[in-house]
Order: sequence, then C-alpha cells, then structure tokens
Amino acid sequence: MTKTLNINGSTFEFVDGESLLEVAQRNGIGIPTLCHDPRLKAVGACRTCLVEVEGQRRLTPACATLAAEGAKVTTDNARIARHRQLLLSMYLADHPIGQKNRGDDELLEMAERFAATPLGALRSARPGRSENVNPYIKFDAERCILCARCVRYCEEVEGVQAITLAGRGSLTTISTADARGLLDSSCELCGGCVDVCPTGAMSQRAGWPLLKSDTKKVRTTCNYCGVGCQMDLVVDPDANDGRGHIVRVDSPGPGTTTNDGNLCVKGRFGTGFVDHPDRLTVPLIRGEDGELHEATWEQALDRVVKGFAAVQEAHGKDALGFVSSSRCTVEENYLVQKLARAVYGTNNVHQCAAT
Amino acid sequence: MAGLVTTFGAGAMTNSIGEIRDVDCLFVIGSNTTEAHPVIGMEMKRAARRGATLIVADPRKIWLSTIADRHLELTPGTDIWLLNAMAHVIIAEGLTDDAFIAANTENFEAVVATVAAYTPEQAAVVTGVSADDIRWAARTYATTEKAAIFYTLGITEHSHGTDNVCALANLVLMTGHLGKPSAGLNPLRGQNNVQGANDAGASPIYFPGYQRVDDFGALARYEASWGVTLDPKPGLNLNEMMKEMGRKLRGLFVMGEDIVLSEPNVGHLEKGLNGVDFLVIQDIFPNETTRFAHVVLPATSFAEKEGTFTNSERRVQRVRKAVEPPGQARADWSILLDLAGKAGANWTLESPAEVYAEMVKDTVRFAGISHERIDREGGLQWPCPTPDHPGTRTLHEGGVLRGKGLFTAIEYRPSSELPCDDYPFVLSTGRTLYHYNSATQTRREEGLDSKQPEAFVQIHPRDARELDVRSGDEVAVSTRRGEVRLKALVTRQVKPGRIWMPFHFKEARANLLTNDVGDSVTGTAEYKVCAAQVVKVGEGTSKFPGAYAVE
Repeated sequence: MTKTLNINGSTFEFVDGESLLEVAQRNGIGIPTLCHDPRLKAVGACRTCLVEVEGQRRLTPACATLAAEGAKVTTDNARIARHRQLLLSMYLADHPIGQKNRGDDELLEMAERFAATPLGALRSARPGRSENVNPYIKFDAERCILCARCVRYCEEVEGVQAITLAGRGSLTTISTADARGLLDSSCELCGGCVDVCPTGAMSQRAGWPLLKSDTKKVRTTCNYCGVGCQMDLVVDPDANDGRGHIVRVDSPGPGTTTNDGNLCVKGRFGTGFVDHPDRLTVPLIRGEDGELHEATWEQALDRVVKGFAAVQEAHGKDALGFVSSSRCTVEENYLVQKLARAVYGTNNVHQCAAT
Repeated sequence: MAGLVTTFGAGAMTNSIGEIRDVDCLFVIGSNTTEAHPVIGMEMKRAARRGATLIVADPRKIWLSTIADRHLELTPGTDIWLLNAMAHVIIAEGLTDDAFIAANTENFEAVVATVAAYTPEQAAVVTGVSADDIRWAARTYATTEKAAIFYTLGITEHSHGTDNVCALANLVLMTGHLGKPSAGLNPLRGQNNVQGANDAGASPIYFPGYQRVDDFGALARYEASWGVTLDPKPGLNLNEMMKEMGRKLRGLFVMGEDIVLSEPNVGHLEKGLNGVDFLVIQDIFPNETTRFAHVVLPATSFAEKEGTFTNSERRVQRVRKAVEPPGQARADWSILLDLAGKAGANWTLESPAEVYAEMVKDTVRFAGISHERIDREGGLQWPCPTPDHPGTRTLHEGGVLRGKGLFTAIEYRPSSELPCDDYPFVLSTGRTLYHYNSATQTRREEGLDSKQPEAFVQIHPRDARELDVRSGDEVAVSTRRGEVRLKALVTRQVKPGRIWMPFHFKEARANLLTNDVGDSVTGTAEYKVCAAQVVKVGEGTSKFPGAYAVE
C-alpha cells in the first residue's frame, strides 16, 4: 500500500526510509540546507532545514526526520522564517562577509536571499592549521560553520578519515591527526572536502580570487582512467593571451552523472599539464644532421605521406603499422583505422589496450 | 576483451557503475580499484559500508583488502587454479544455477570435466590461498543473488590473460550471475577511452563494432561504404608489431602512446626502432619514443578538442573544447583528416560529429548515438540501436548477446617465466594513485609529484633483511632483459619472494625488465609476472610520503 503525507497542503507519496527533505525535494519543494549531501548520512547539524510538523512542539530538521504516514508538514511560515533569519545571523556573526561573490559561498547567498544580517560582531577563536603544507587544499577556519560535510565526506565516501572535528566548544575546528599537514596524513587529495564545503572554508589554492562572472564552465569527460567521470573545467578565457587557462575543476552535482559528484586527485588536480611549457607546439622533421628541426605543417605532412609511400614501395603495404591510442577520442581512433585500412591497405592497426 | 567477446558476445562491463552500490557480494580480482579507478573504488567502499561482502583476490595487500571480508593473497599467475577450484566447489556442492545453464549456455560439460581435478586442497598448494578461503569464496559468490565480479589488468596482463577471463566467465555462467542489475562480470578499463578505441575498430581483427575483417559480410559493407578494396587478412597486433619492428615492419605511425616507456622488454624494442625506416609520432609532449622519430606532429590534449570517450560501462560521453591549443598544435582528428587528404583520399568529413555519424552508420550497436543527442540527453550506453532507444544499463538482460553463453574448459598453464636461482623474485608491475601510465601528464603536476616523487620497488621485510636493505636504500632490480636502479620500499604489502614496482618513472623504467611474451589471443604482454633479482647498491634515505604504503 502506498503511504502518503502532506506538505504545505498537498499530498505526496513516499516510501519507507525517505526523509521529509527527500520527499520535498523530489516534488520540487525547496528547503534550504547547508550540511545536507545526498551521499552522506543525515546529521541535522546546520538547522537551516527546520520545518514544522503538526503535533510536534519544536521545529524539526527535514533532513533527519523520516517521512511518516499522515504527517502534516509546513516548510515555510512566519515562525520558520524568523527562526531561519536568526540562525543565519548567528552564522554570519563570525563569518567574513567582505568578500562576497568570491566563489561558492552558499551561506552568503542564503543570507542575502533571506535578508539576514550579522548578529553583532564576534571574533571566532577557531584555530586553523598553519602547517598545512600541500599544493591544493586550503582551510580557512574563519569561514567554517562546523557543518562537518567535509569530515563526513572524507569518512563516508572517500573512506580515508584524513580530517576530523577536533577541539571543544568555540575552539572546535576541522583538523587532522596531530594537526599535521594533509600531505603527511592519510589524505589522498581527492578534493571532495572542497567540493562539498558550503561556505568556501575548504577551498582550492588555485583559482582564487576569481569572480564567477569572469569564468566559463565547460562540461567534459576526464582523460585519465576508464571510469569516465564528468567534470566541469572552470576556464579563465582571457588568460594565456586569450588561449584560455583551466583555473580549476569542479565536479557536477551528486546524482547527476556517473561519478555522482565525486572525482579523484588526478581528475580534480591533474590538469596542469595542459599549459606545461614542455608541450609540443611546432611540427618537427629530422634533418640530415640527425636532429629534429622545426617545420611547417605543410612540410611535415608532405614528409609523412612521402615516407609512408617509400616504405610501402620498398617493402609492401604490410610493412606499415599504425598504433592508435586509447587516450584519444572515439572519432580519432575511427580515423586512424580508416586511414590504415582504406588509404594504406593494411590491417596493422592496434592500440595498447585490447586486453 | 577477446575472451568476453568469445564467451558472451560483447567485451565490456555487463553492469553499470551506478549498480555497484547495490551489489551484495563483490569479488574483486586483479584490480587495485581505489588507486587505478578511484571513483569506482568509492562505489565499492559504499557497498561495503552498506554491508556487502567484499572478496579481494590480489597478490598484494591493497587499500580494498584492508576492508575486505577476506583477502585471497594468491601467488601471481595462479589465477586459473583459484578460479577453477572455485568452480569445482560450486559444482561439487550443487550451487550451480541449472535453469540458467540449460536455457542460456553451452559446453558446460567440458568445464565440469576439467575442473574436477582442481580440488581446493590442491589449489591451496599452488596458489597459497587456503582451501577454506577458496570454499568460502565460492559459496559466498554462488549463493549471493547480487554478486558481481570486477577485474582489470591483474587478470589480463598475463601470457594466459584470455584464459583468466574465460575462467571468470565460467563462474558467472554456472551461477547465472548475468543479465541482472548489480550481478555480472565487469572489466574496468585502464584508460579513458579503451572501450571507445576498441569500439571504433583500432584493432587488427575488427572493423568498428567488433565486425571481423575476415567476415565477408562486414568486408563488403565497408568496401561499399568507403569505396575501396579492403584486405581480409587480419593484421599484426601491437605485441607483434613491437617484435617485428625493423624487420617485417619498416614504417610506423604512433598516436598518443609512449611505446618506449609503455611496452615490455624495451631494450629489444629500442633496437627495433633504430632499424625502422620511418617513424611518425603524434603527441602532446616529447617522450622517450620521440628520440627515434623522423617526424613529430604536435597534437592537442582532451581540453582542446571536441569528440567522445566511451567509459568502462559502455557510456559514450562528450569531450568538449575548453581552451585553445598552444602554438601550432592541432587536434588529432584534424591532422588525420589532412593526412588522408594528402595521401589521396577523398573523405568529406569536417568535424568530430560527422566522423561519429559515419562510424555508427555501419554499426548497429551504436547506431542511435550522435553528438547532438549526447549534448541534449547526456552520455548514452551502448547497445543503442536507434535514435529513440534509451541505451542499455545492464548487458544481456534479454538473454546472452552471443545467443548462448559459451563455457570454455581452461587448464592451468604456468606463467612463462618462473623464479629460479639466478632470478629468485616474482616481479609484478602496476599503477599508483598519484601517477598515470608513462606519467607525462602527472609528473608535470606539482602536487601529484610531491605526493610521489620517485620510483620505488616494494620488498617484504624478510627479504629486505636477507639483502641487508632498508627503506630508502638504492637497489638494482634485474631480469633476463635488463636492469634498473631505484629506491627500496620495505613493506608487508608484498609477500616474501615477491616484489612490485610502478611503471610510471622514466629514470627507472619497469619495462626494461618486463617480459614481452604475449597472450596467444590478444597479444597483451605479461607485465604481471617475470623472474627478477634484487641487489643492494647503496645506502639512502626514504623520501616516501606515507600514504600509499598500506601496512
């Protein structure tokens, strides 16, 4: 028998085990969240998703409350709005607000949306990690709201438990064992903590500060292993004399692609090679002196065509071989085998990955 | 892959990555998933956290084995003994899915007859895995409904790699763990586009879509399509090409592979390359092979061109241009089109989208896929025969694609090179989390390189003591083919008598050591087993960051 509950006056079906938040989101009812991530167990830490359930005296977190038969839920009214505004004001009290638009600070965006202003000015004593030597991930203790999304991701998804909540009371912070730098911890630099952080407390060292409006995002497929993670290349189009520069790599939201919002160290941080000065930029032809010399495309391609023709004339068509590449695209592999077969008449075409 | 095409009718993961989280018994063999396929590793961790049984078969302790229910630490190259013994148990204890076997398979009797001799007790002697563990693994795998096998190059990079795949396929067919969500047989592809390169016909025996070049129907189709006469004789595979270099093979075009760093028995290969009349390299970086090239063509990285990659789960996804190529570098596809034009071909292709459209015209499996459709709907999984077909999440759901799944009776053949007095260690090679293949990309990335800056060879503490070697000391590792010097990493991750090293480092090229004997079907070389000797050369200090040494 299907079970139903009522949200904001409408009736919705649910299955056992679904939270109020999941039922609401599935039906297009927006409830603000900060600590929620569909990949993680709900903890109800940030309290931004509080809703009213008829018959319960106190507001209850939608993420951590299971849907129940016949429940009557209200996601927005004056009481909830008042509560949410106060809550956001408290978060803002020790949150740097001068750098709006700096990137992905969901807290600041939410505060603006709900017209919340800082409650007094409070100086947080939360300690950072001055010795956190690593090239990628920065922790800014001032921006942290202790939602622990990063810590939970590190434990529940990546499974390495490199970072943890440490300290007590106002000194609570995100740290590692013995407050060591990430390079000396069990961290595998997957960057998931950066990706899930709602306030920018965990951020990438590269790419700041850059206004969102100055970059473009290009959805593409990772070029490393065979998982085929989808990723968004965040590009500064004006860099490199207009050639463009990949500022950083974002993962698409959880639940939207095969990789469910996850990336590994190579996918997230391994694009520096694109702009490396060692890149081949000019065609080269080996000269009489045995050295490679710069040439025009016209010269280089003519040399290739002549060279292949000479080999086949002297030794037959099967004296030629083509090594294609599982690193290149489907289309390029198609073209290599067509070139070998249709133009040069040989089936000597393969690549390193036909196991 | 050839093994899967033969037994099932399609060489690809039968399940989807998204199904992994719901698998109740994961049998991971010859795959260091968390390092080689980290994001699939996350899905496996998720299944294990949920309570799925995790069985890891690997000669080394790996990240996954630390959370596995049991770790079958088999001797490298003895997979057939382990798998046949598991089949033996499943048959002996009546755990086979007889209805599935009757309806969907053929040749089961041959396997029954063969595996009868592979008792768990005898297998324990050969593999080093206890008979109890083998029985437990066989029972657990056979009796769990959602049971899936995952493997990579630890299975295929052997002289009997195709045998290994067939032995796995036997387990799948006799238990009926096929054609269902979260149950199947899943090769995880090492490179971004292994699946796509094979799909596209970069193969000496197949046109695109696994149509054999010696099948006259396929031949006629492509002769008509391309307007040329084609040769029905299969060509040389990569392994054969490398061995014939400078002999039968006098001219070579290489796109996007550093063969000198990646192919086995490099010493021999370099001699061959010196004897080649004409070598063309098309790549993004100068590499170890460009030293031999007559012409070098500067190509583009994935971020600078349009196209598609097909991932391990058969999903065709878009590659999109985000930045312009440096200098005069050009997209590989456009270089190839120019080259064909200059050689006299009259192709009318002008974009990767048009190339893809031409490819699917003659291949039923991909016929419903186009760039335009992927841009609109996201990645599509083949088979996808028509433009309104949603793609296929789980293979073989409506019956095995081959018609009947083919059982293959497999007898154990030892690896071609076994330890002896002169070369007492078994050397295996592989990949690490922080680097990728020949590392032309990852070693140019500061952070990846700082996490793992130098080459190392893993040695068990007991062996290290006998060799008077401590972590960080310099050692010489030699085989019948060559010698490299690198740092020792003393760790219990390997068992006594076995050593392991990554192949990413050009200053300590693992492939000077590896054996180029190829699998009889695919030609894939035996990177995972060869006999080696280790000698201490000098004292040193360890700069190894701790993270990758599982203790």
